[in-house]
Amino acid sequence: MIEIKNLQKFFQIKAKFSNHKTVHAVRNVNLTISSGGALCLIGESGCGKTTIGRMLCGMERPSSGSIIIDGQDISRLKRGARAKLLQKIQLIHQDPYQALNPTHTIEQMMKATLKKVAKQKKKDVDWIRQRMDELLKLVGLDPETILFKYPHMLSGGQRQRVIIARALTVEPEMLIADEVVSMIDVSLRLGILKLLRYLRERHNISILFITHDIASARYLGNDTELYVVYKGMVIERGRTERVIRRPQHPYTQALLSAMPILKGIEKPGKDRFVITSQFKQSEEETRGCLFADRCPFKQSICDEKQPELIHNDDAYHACFFPKVRQVAAESI
Amino acid sequence: MSDTSTVNTESTFKEQQKMAISARNINVVYATPTGDIPAVRNVDIDLPRGSITGIIGESGSGKSTLIMAIMNAVTKPGKITSGSVLLNGENDMLQLSSEKQRKIRGKEIGFVFQAAQNSLNPLRRIGQQILDLGRAHEVHDLRALIKYAKELLIRLGLDADRVLASFQHELSGGMRQRVGIMFSLVLNANIVFLDESTTALDMLSQASVLEIIRELQKEKNLTIAFVSHDIGVIADLSERIEIFYAGEIVEEGKTSEVLASPKHPYTKGLIKAIPKISGDIDAAEPLKGSSPDYRTFKQEGCLFYDRCPIRTDSCRDSRPELNITSGYHKVACFRVDAND
Repeated sequence: MIEIKNLQKFFQIKAKFSNHKTVHAVRNVNLTISSGGALCLIGESGCGKTTIGRMLCGMERPSSGSIIIDGQDISRLKRGARAKLLQKIQLIHQDPYQALNPTHTIEQMMKATLKKVAKQKKKDVDWIRQRMDELLKLVGLDPETILFKYPHMLSGGQRQRVIIARALTVEPEMLIADEVVSMIDVSLRLGILKLLRYLRERHNISILFITHDIASARYLGNDTELYVVYKGMVIERGRTERVIRRPQHPYTQALLSAMPILKGIEKPGKDRFVITSQFKQSEEETRGCLFADRCPFKQSICDEKQPELIHNDDAYHACFFPKVRQVAAESI
Repeated sequence: MSDTSTVNTESTFKEQQKMAISARNINVVYATPTGDIPAVRNVDIDLPRGSITGIIGESGSGKSTLIMAIMNAVTKPGKITSGSVLLNGENDMLQLSSEKQRKIRGKEIGFVFQAAQNSLNPLRRIGQQILDLGRAHEVHDLRALIKYAKELLIRLGLDADRVLASFQHELSGGMRQRVGIMFSLVLNANIVFLDESTTALDMLSQASVLEIIRELQKEKNLTIAFVSHDIGVIADLSERIEIFYAGEIVEEGKTSEVLASPKHPYTKGLIKAIPKISGDIDAAEPLKGSSPDYRTFKQEGCLFYDRCPIRTDSCRDSRPELNITSGYHKVACFRVDAND
C-alpha cells in the first residue's frame, strides 16, 4: 500500500536576465493506492502529473509532505533502505524510443538486470534464462524471435512491452505508467492497456497510470480511481466511470469535451464545450481558483478565493459552482 | 459498349473539374539494396473542392509518401514510377516544370508537416521566415503579407506580435503547430495537407486546433487532406475517409457510413481497437499482429493476409481490388459479405 500525504513540490527556475521564479508544481496532493489497486492521474502537459510520479519512484525529492510505502516514510529512511524499498516501484517512461540502449540486444538488456536479481536471490544461470523467457511471454512477446534483436528493429508497441518486461524483473509491487501509450500507434494502444490490466488482475501489481487521455484510463478496470490534476492540484476525483458520466468540475468537463467524436457511432454529449485558450505555465500566483482564467462558467468569487477539494455525491471536486454536465460522447 | 465508355470518360472529366485534386494510378517505389519496395501502389484519390478528407494508416503504411507524391515532392531513394495528379482539373503536378511546381506549392497547396519544429528555421524569427516565404513567391506587398499573417495568428488564438518576434524554440508544441497552419494559409492556398498535425498535442490543444481547422475550412472553403494514425481525430474532423494499409487504399467512403458499417476487416479491427469513452470496455479488442513492414509491401496476395481474422487461401494468392459496395463506399476485400 502506498500513501501520499500533503505532497508539495516547488521548482526554482533560474532565469538569466530576470528574477528567479518559483513554480508551484504540485500542491497538497493526497492519494492512496492499495495493493493491486489502480489510480489514474489526468491532466494537460505541464500540470504536474509526471512530477508526482517521479517523486513517488524517488527520482525527485518532495519539497514537503510524505510518501509512505508499506507503512514506512521514505524520506526518513537511510539511503540503502530507501533504495531497497523503492525497488518495489518501477517507472515506465513515455518514450519507448529513448528508454532502451540502442547498442544492446534485448537479451543483453534483460540479462543485465536479471543477473543482479539472481545474485540477490542466489540463483544460477539457468534461472536467468528461464525467468527471461517467462517475463517476455508474460508481456506477450515471443522470446525466440525477440532476444537477438536490437531496439531499432522493434515497433513502438513491442519496445514498450520490452520495457514493461524489464521493469518486472525486480518483481515490483507497483508500476508507474507515465503516458505509456501516447507515442504508440492508436491501433496498438489497447494491447498495452490490456497488458497493464492483466498484470494488475493476475499478478496483483498496482498501477499508477498517468495520461491525458481519459478513454485510456477506463481500460485499466472498473474500480480505477481517477484524479484530475490542474496546475498541480487535484480538482476532481472519483471512480473513473462516475467521473466520465457525471463530471462536476468545468475543467474535467473541458477534458471530456475535447475527446474526438467518432462520427457514425457516437454523438456528442449535449452540454459539450471546447476551450480554445491556452494553458499558461508561468504566471503570477493567483488568490482565486486556478482554473478561473479559462473557465467559461466563472463568477466573481472565483477570482478571490481558492475552492477546496470537497466531498459531494460520492466524488470529490474543487469548485464553487459544481454542476453535472453531459459532455462525454455517447454511443448511438 | 464503346458508347458507355465515352459517356463514362466524359462524366469522369466533369467530376474531375469539381475535384481540387484528382490523382490517378499513383505508384511510388523506394529503392533499397534488396530491390524496390512499392510504398504506394495504384492509388486513385480524389479531394473534392471544399471538403475535408481523412487518410488513416499506421506508421510505415506509406501515407506521408502518398501526400508527398501528390505534391511531386518524393525524395530519394523514393521515386514516382507512374500516375497523374490533376490540380483543379488541369495542371498535372507530375508533368510540370520544377519552377512551376515550386510556385504551386505554397500558393495553391499548403502543407503542415508532422513535426512542425523541423519545418521552421531555428535561426530565424517567425516574422523573418514569413518575409522569406513572401520573397520566394514574389509577393510585392510584404507589409500586407505580415498583416495577414498576424490576422491568421490571432484567429489561431495566439499573441501575434510575440509569435512573429520569436524563434521556434520559444514556442510550445501546440503553438508551433498553429504557426505551421498559418504558414500553409498565408499565401492563400486553398488546398491544405495536414500530416499528423495533432499527434504530439494533448487533448485540449488537439481539440482547439481541430476546432480552428474546421472554422477556417468553412470560412475559406478550403480543401483539406488530413493524414493521421488516429482514427478518432479523423472520425471527428473529416467528411470522407480513406483507409490506407501498406501502400494501398483498402476502404473509402463517407466517414459516418464507414464507421457505422465498416466492411474491410482492417477497418473493423481499427474501430474496435480505439479506447472509447462509452460502452463496454471488454468489447474493445487490440488489433492483432504488427504494423506493416517491408515484407508486407512485397507480399503477393492481400496485404492484410497475415493479420486478417477472416482470411481464406485465395486471399494469399491474389489481391482484391477496390470495388464499390454501395454509393461512394468502396472496399478492397474478397470476403466483404462474410459474417463473423
